[in-house]
Amino acid sequence: MIVEAALDLSVLVGDWRNTNPAAGIGRIVVEPNGSGGVRVHVASSTRDWGKVDAPVFAFDFEEVRLQANVKLGVLVVASFNTFKDDSGRSSYFNREFFYRV
Amino acid sequence: METLREWEAVPLPAPRPRVEVEPMAGRWIKTYDKPQWIGVLDVRVDGDDLLVHVYGGGLGPSPADWGVVRTGRVYAGAPTSGDALAGGFVAHVTLPEADVELQANLNLGLLVVATYVTFREPGPWTDRFTREFFRSDA
Repeated sequence: MIVEAALDLSVLVGDWRNTNPAAGIGRIVVEPNGSGGVRVHVASSTRDWGKVDAPVFAFDFEEVRLQANVKLGVLVVASFNTFKDDSGRSSYFNREFFYRV
Repeated sequence: METLREWEAVPLPAPRPRVEVEPMAGRWIKTYDKPQWIGVLDVRVDGDDLLVHVYGGGLGPSPADWGVVRTGRVYAGAPTSGDALAGGFVAHVTLPEADVELQANLNLGLLVVATYVTFREPGPWTDRFTREFFRSDA
């Protein structure tokens, strides 16, 4: 019988602030989702992105896929951004750093 | 350039722009919640230089207070001559047991600090390299 160990989420869970005040994403709150994963709440200076369990934020005009890892207390967040409207804007990649408060 | 004689029109090199050291000033606190080599850096502006006060992070032979050192040089953060905002500095610290070259650079609001530690006497510690992250306390 194989018993699957629960993943320790403590290194990820918390209230994270961007190290760069001028950055795109200002705040990320990570909390356990009750199913062994995490729920991620993101806010930028212009809007509250809401909470998701999957690392994809889907808006009418844009889709953002997040990847994150923790290194020496820094949450490194990479985002892959795709516009779905006909604005002509190119998809882009972004990388930002966050510290836990 | 006004001249009275032709030979007074001497081509002079443009003065080197001042590196704006101010963006690196402030209190920088370690991002890692466990002990590490450096815990805090207090960085103050002193003219065109920075005064760096380093505090140990509770790991290994790192003293609690490294004292204050003046930066050896402050570097602009971009290779273009028009951007003279500070992006990094180098300082040398003399500890009771070791000499340390401290290199710091700003990356998206994060202060990345590397140290090259040379122990002066034979002992249990080997020379070492460290790289740690700090956030602004502003």
